[in-house]
Amino acid sequence: MHLQLVGLSKRFGNVPAVDDATLEIRPGEVLALLGENGAGKSTLMKLLYGVHTPDAGRIEIDGQARSIPSPCRAMALGLGMVFQQFSLVPALSVRENLALAQPSAPWWIGRRASRLSALDAHVQTLAPGIDPDARVDQLPVGQMQLVELAKVLLRDARCVIFDEPSAVLTPSEAARLWALIRGLTARGLAVVLISHKLADVRACADRVAVMRAGHVVAQAPAHDASDAQIVEWMVGRTPPTVRAPRVRPAGAAIRLELRGVSAGSARGVDLAVRAGEVLGVAGVSGSGQTELAEAIAGALPLTAGEVILDGHRLRAPHLAAGPTPQLAYIAPEPLRNAVAPDLSLALNLALKRIRDLPFMPSRAQLAERAAPLIARFGVRPADPQARAGQLSGGNLQKLVAARELADARAAVVACYPTMGLDVSATAQVYEALFGLARSGSAVLWISEDLDDLLQHAHRIAVMFDGRVIALFDAAAATSAGVGACMAGRPEAVAA
Amino acid sequence: MNGTQLQRAGLAIAAFAALAGGFFGLIGRGPLEMLQAIVMAAAGSRYAVGESLLRATPILLCALATLVPARLGLVSVGAEGQLYFGALVGTGALLLAPAPSLQLPVVLLGGLVGGAVWALLPALLRVVADVNETISTLMLNYVASLLVTWLVYGPWKSPQSQGWPASIEFPDSARLPLLGDSRVHAGLLVALVMGIVLHLLFTRSRWGLVLDVLRSNPRLAPLAGLSIARQVLLTMAIGGALAGLAGIAETASVQGRLQAAFANGAGLSGFLVAWLAGSRVLPAMALALLVGGLLAAGDGLQMMTSVPSSAVLVVQGLMFVALLGAGGWRSEVARG
Repeated sequence: MHLQLVGLSKRFGNVPAVDDATLEIRPGEVLALLGENGAGKSTLMKLLYGVHTPDAGRIEIDGQARSIPSPCRAMALGLGMVFQQFSLVPALSVRENLALAQPSAPWWIGRRASRLSALDAHVQTLAPGIDPDARVDQLPVGQMQLVELAKVLLRDARCVIFDEPSAVLTPSEAARLWALIRGLTARGLAVVLISHKLADVRACADRVAVMRAGHVVAQAPAHDASDAQIVEWMVGRTPPTVRAPRVRPAGAAIRLELRGVSAGSARGVDLAVRAGEVLGVAGVSGSGQTELAEAIAGALPLTAGEVILDGHRLRAPHLAAGPTPQLAYIAPEPLRNAVAPDLSLALNLALKRIRDLPFMPSRAQLAERAAPLIARFGVRPADPQARAGQLSGGNLQKLVAARELADARAAVVACYPTMGLDVSATAQVYEALFGLARSGSAVLWISEDLDDLLQHAHRIAVMFDGRVIALFDAAAATSAGVGACMAGRPEAVAA
Repeated sequence: MNGTQLQRAGLAIAAFAALAGGFFGLIGRGPLEMLQAIVMAAAGSRYAVGESLLRATPILLCALATLVPARLGLVSVGAEGQLYFGALVGTGALLLAPAPSLQLPVVLLGGLVGGAVWALLPALLRVVADVNETISTLMLNYVASLLVTWLVYGPWKSPQSQGWPASIEFPDSARLPLLGDSRVHAGLLVALVMGIVLHLLFTRSRWGLVLDVLRSNPRLAPLAGLSIARQVLLTMAIGGALAGLAGIAETASVQGRLQAAFANGAGLSGFLVAWLAGSRVLPAMALALLVGGLLAAGDGLQMMTSVPSSAVLVVQGLMFVALLGAGGWRSEVARG
C-alpha cells in the first residue's frame, strides 16, 4: 500500500496541531515518524486512521484520493493502528478478543466453534508462546502488544501504524518486535513507527520523517541521517547535552539505605545509595520497583525491613509516615499519585510545604512562588492558576519534577521521571536530577529506558519478581547483560 | 455570578414556575394566587418571617454538619442522628441538675459533645476499619432517634406530662434566649456566625487548602505530610457538634422538653441543602432560609387557603427538581 498525505492540516480551537503536513508512506518500508511531545505526529496518524478528519489537504491511497471519516472506514481500506493504550478487552481471553475483531464476526460467537482454531494458528505465527485461553489482563505488556498486532493483521491491514511501541518493552521484547516488523515489510506491508527514541530508528527504520510544530520538517533515508541531525530536526537547534556526574563517589557517606525492605511485591530489597550517587533501577514493569519507590516515599506500608535516611529510620512496619521534606519523590503515574487534579498549579507546587504555609495563605504569593518553577521546567499552560487536571501527561510530569527537584534534598526517589517527555524536556529533568546528585543528594532512579540508565547512572540494580537480582557498575555493564537479568536470567550474563 | 450562571438561574426559576403552576392547576387553584399565598405565609408579616427563620435554623445547622465532612470528600447523612443524640446528651446534662446558673452552658455543651460523639463513632469506624461512613451514619440515625423515643417513653418520662411522652420541662435557667419578641432563638445567630466562619476557613485558610487537597486526591497525604485519619475525625466531630447544637437548641427553646421525633426531618433537609449547594457555605445558607420559609409557609397555607400543608412539601420537591434539572446550580465547590 502506497500512501501520500498531501498538505494535511488540523486545528483544535486556535491551536494548529498539524499544519500543511506532506508525507509519503511506501510499501515494504518502515517509516519512523519522529518528533517531540506535541509536534503533531500522533494527530497526523489519527487523521490517517480516521479518528480526526482533516481541515484541509487530502489522503491518497495507491494514487486514489480517499476520505477517511472513521476508523471503521480506515480498517476497511486496509489501515491498522496499534495504539499505546491497547484496545483489548482485559477480561476476555486472547482468542475471544481476536474473535471479536474478525471482520465477519456474527452477533453470537460460539466459544468452542471450529473456526476459532484458525485464530489460534494466527496467534501462533506471531507469538509462539501465547496461550490463546489466557485472559488478556494476565499477559505481560509485551504480549498484549502482540495480541493487539495480531488483531490488526487479522483484518488484512496493509499499512500498520505503531504508536510508541517500544515504550513498554524490555530489550529482548523490543528485539522480537523489530523482527516481526521486518517480517511485515518483507511481505510488502507499509509500517509507520511513531517514536521519539533514536534507538528505535537505528533498530528498525528504513526512512525517517521528522515533525516539529505541526510541520513535517524532514524526510530522509535512515542511514543518511545522523543522530545529531535528527535531534536538530526535532528540536530546531542542538540541545544541551546532559552532564551526568560520571565519577562514582565511592568514598562518600551512605545517605539512603534500604535494609531488607518488603512492600507490595518487592521482597527483601537491600540497597545503599551514597551522597552524590545515581543508582539506577531497571526491570520490566511489575517487578516491584514502583512499590519499592512508594514504600520509601511512605505511600505504601512496609511489611518488613527499614529505610534509613541520613542515619535516621525513615520507614519501618507500623512506623507512622511523617512528613518528609528532605526526600524528593517523583511518583509513577503523576495524575494518580502526585497531583491534586482539581487544584491550581500554584497549589500543587506548594504541596510539599502545605503544613508550613501561614494560617491564611495568600494566593498571590503562592502564584508568585510558582511562576519561576513553571518557567524553568516549561510547564504548559504557564498559568499558575490553571487546574492541574487540565495538563497533558508530559506537562504533569514536568509539574511534579518542578516541585520535587527544584530544592536541595537529602535523597531523591525518581520513578520514570521522563515518562512521556520529549528530548528537551527530558534533558531538563535529567539536568535537575543529576544536578541534585552533584550537590550531594543520593539519587535512586527507576527507569524503563535502559540506554539512559547505562548512560547516566553510576550503578544499575536490576529487579526481577520483587527482588534485586543483580547490581552492575554502569561503566562496565552492557545492554544485553542487564536485559538478560531483567528477563530473570542472570546466568545468561556469565555465559 | 457570570452570564451562564444567570441564564441557568433564570431557567431554574422558569422551570419551577411552570412545574408549580401545573401542580396548582391540578389541585384546582390559580397558580398566581397560590404562589402569592406561599410568599405571604413565609414572609408576609413579622410573625411569618420569625416562623420561617425558626424552621430554617436546624436545617442550616444540619446543612453545615453535612458540609464540613463533605469538604473532605466524606458523604455523611448522619446529621439527623447527631441532632437527636445532641438533644439527648444535653437533656441528660440538665437532669444531672447542676446549679441554675450553670444549667444553660452545661446543657449547650452537652448538645455539642453529644453530636460530636455520635459523629465520631462512624468516623472511628471509617478510620480504623474502613467502614463506609454513609451507611454507618444512616444506620446510627435510627439508633439515636429510637434511643430518644425510648427515654421519653420510659426512664425520662416526666410525671407531670400526664401520659404525654416527654422529658421534664426545661426551667427558664436552661432555656436559650429568644430574639426580640419572636420565637426565633439564639441558635440562628450561632448558625449564621458559624456559617461565615466556616466559609472563611474553607476559602481562605490553610485548613481549607488541606481539605481541598485531600478531597481532590487522598493519595497525596503522605507526600504532603498530612493525616487523613486526623481530618476525618476533625471534620466529622465539627459537623456532629453543629448538628448536636441544632438538636439541643430546638429542645431548649421552642419545644422546651425532649420529645420523640421532634426533628421533623431537619437532618435530611439539611443534607439535601448541603448537597444542592455543592458543599459551598454561602449557597447552603441561602437555600436553608428558602427551605425553612417554604416549610413554615405550609402551616400558614393550611389556615389561609384550606390547602393541606403537605402541598408545600410537593412544592418544595418541585423546587429541588427545578434547581437540579436546570443544571449547573449544583456546580462543585470553588477550587483553589
